[in-house]
Amino acid sequence: MLDAIISTRELLGRVDELLRTQRVIGPVRRDVPDATPPVRWFYEPVSSARQLDLGFAYCVYSPKQYLLPPRETLLEFHRTPDGFSARPVSDAQPTALIGVHPCDLHALVTLDRAFSHNGDDEHYQARRRRLLIVGVDCGKPCTPGVYCADMRANVADEGFDVMLQPLGAGADVERFGVRFGSPRGRAWLEAGGGCERPTAADERAADAWQERKEASFGRTLTTAHEDLPAMMARSYDSLIWEATARRCYSCGSCNLVCPTCYCFDVHDELDLSLQEGRRCREWDGCQLQDFALVAGGHNFRSKAAARLRHRLMRKSKWIGERTGGKGCVGCARCDRACTARISTVEIYNQLAEEV
Amino acid sequence: MPRESVLEAGPVADIGAMAASPYLPEAARVLSVRSLTAMERLFDLEFADGRALGHAPGQFVQVSLLGIGECPISICSSPTRPQRFQLCIRKAGVVTAALHALRGGDMVGIRGPLGRGFDVSELHGKDVLIVAGGLGLAPARSLIQYVIDERARFGAFHLLYGAKHPSELLFREDLHAWRDDPAVDFHMTVDRPDEGWRGRVGVVTTLFRELPPLDPQRTVVAVIGPPVMFKFVLLEVLARRIPQGRVYCSLERRMKCGVGKCGHCQANDVYVCQEGPVFTYGRLKALREAIE
Ligand SMILES: Cc1cc2nc3c(=O)[nH]c(=O)nc-3n(C[C@H](O)[C@H](O)[C@H](O)COP(=O)(O)OP(=O)(O)OC[C@H]3O[C@@H](n4cnc5c(N)ncnc54)[C@H](O)[C@@H]3O)c2cc1C
Ligand code: SF4
Ligand code: SF4
Ligand code: FES
Repeated sequence: MLDAIISTRELLGRVDELLRTQRVIGPVRRDVPDATPPVRWFYEPVSSARQLDLGFAYCVYSPKQYLLPPRETLLEFHRTPDGFSARPVSDAQPTALIGVHPCDLHALVTLDRAFSHNGDDEHYQARRRRLLIVGVDCGKPCTPGVYCADMRANVADEGFDVMLQPLGAGADVERFGVRFGSPRGRAWLEAGGGCERPTAADERAADAWQERKEASFGRTLTTAHEDLPAMMARSYDSLIWEATARRCYSCGSCNLVCPTCYCFDVHDELDLSLQEGRRCREWDGCQLQDFALVAGGHNFRSKAAARLRHRLMRKSKWIGERTGGKGCVGCARCDRACTARISTVEIYNQLAEEV
Repeated sequence: MPRESVLEAGPVADIGAMAASPYLPEAARVLSVRSLTAMERLFDLEFADGRALGHAPGQFVQVSLLGIGECPISICSSPTRPQRFQLCIRKAGVVTAALHALRGGDMVGIRGPLGRGFDVSELHGKDVLIVAGGLGLAPARSLIQYVIDERARFGAFHLLYGAKHPSELLFREDLHAWRDDPAVDFHMTVDRPDEGWRGRVGVVTTLFRELPPLDPQRTVVAVIGPPVMFKFVLLEVLARRIPQGRVYCSLERRMKCGVGKCGHCQANDVYVCQEGPVFTYGRLKALREAIE
């Protein structure tokens, strides 16, 4: 059921309105001559709604950097001869994220849960409270290799303030079906007076669009989504981990591009005065050799095979069991980023064949 | 003219201070620093505002030197002695070396108490056996002091301690006091003696010979020491038919956030900084990475 219909022109008008008061981030198309096809999309700040390309295929990096920046200051401190003073800081600013596909919406929910499970992370929450999220539905698999449908992440019912469904086909979508996910999303979109009431024909068009979408997604995993955690539990001692990890460079690229990876490291920075400084966090990755290394030299996950297993156990079993969020949304960014051509789908399927 | 944003302006200005952060350390004063060995120092600390730490034996804190870093350290004193709290710190790297340079009067940052320690109410009324190896005596001491201070609440109290070498013995004053205390059945040993050593020689498990028969129905055991020690002590304990749910161990892991977010401390799916560092053996058994 649609809550409203809005024309592309009215929608972009609402985004331009947002731009008067806050930062707007969305998919921006860039020419990348080496790529096939020679374009890529990136989530970037825009200065006009017309810079957004809501018909994008996929964004190379997920929008997680706008909630968990690659590097952020947690504390500012001042050292004195007889002590210190420290205060938590945030540069969170009101931001609208316009144009998020269902997979990345699910991943943002995963982050929300991780940073509120067993106590809030105020630094994350400060950004989250200031983030308006506008999803846009994808009509078909955005690129070969994705397994979002297998992970039940190609359709999103939560995680957005507003969800847009393109009506009609092709690049020049003129109207969107709208679902509201929050009062503030509704308030923003309706304020322009451009929302229309959906007609019976609109509902039929939206349903037909959804059916076409569903039919266009194949399945790649041989294990059903609900059986995946149990399959993984049986695979703990599989030799596949070691067989695959032989190719792994432990570079952590898979962690960096993954929308549901959120591990971090903390370090201090000190100005030349040796008095003012900052405690910062930055992304870390469980595939890196030293992730579990302690002083004295003991490494609790010294083998690449153990680290690979740890990553995929988190993705397909542990994160879900702990927080209820999706550990993996099947976006295949990790597979695309991997220079060793390690494919998570292949690993799951190989494991499933074995047990 | 800028309009009201649709988004919550919230308690934080665009750039600036926040109301709270789980990463903000509190100022604590170093009251004194004493050398225990060439590598370990004992720090007496007190919060600047005088409040008690309010910990359970076995919990830890994150100790900060702003500009240098932060590291997890067990609380080695008992909550029954709340005026101050103590940390025994081995010089092992960047932060711990800088901590060793501190003197009485200096300030450090403290976050905590963190993690889950011993549930002492489960221990009340039981016979207690504590087995500590090496630096494991530091976290063990918070429980040892607790048992001694609340002695009437416990049955028999056995304490076994092993160090590599006499020069590595921690808390010498305590060792003497425990030896002389008729309410503590205390035994210790070193792996390698030196010339002046009159005591026992051998690994900590050899001390099990000194113990009277344990009553499996009413004994709880805490095993705290390096990972290699665990298995051998566990064999002794399980051979005495102590149920797995009443054998406690403390795990060490790399830790950064201490609040279950950064992922560094995981043993499989378990965040040691939250669910641990103290676990029952019954729980650890299911955690493959904990005992590998
Ligand atoms: C729950 C717990 C209790 C501990 N209790 C004590 C104690 O009572 N006394 C004591 O001397 N030591 C204790 N340790 C070990 C102590 O935390 C490390 O020796 C210390 O972190 C080394 O930090 P560093 O900066 O000096 O070393 P570096 O090698 O320079 O380490 C850099 C950073 O890595 C991380 N790190 C390195 N080693 C460890 C480690 N073993 N555990 C966790 N994080 C690590 C820390 O964030 C550290 O600041 C404990 C560790 C844990 C997990
Ligand atoms: S991107 Fe590939 S090579 Fe790099 S750590 Fe991940 S799996 Fe290993
Ligand atoms: S594990 Fe790979 S496929 Fe799954 S969410 Fe992360 S990057 Fe996407
Ligand atoms: S230390 Fe960060 S999750 Fe445990």
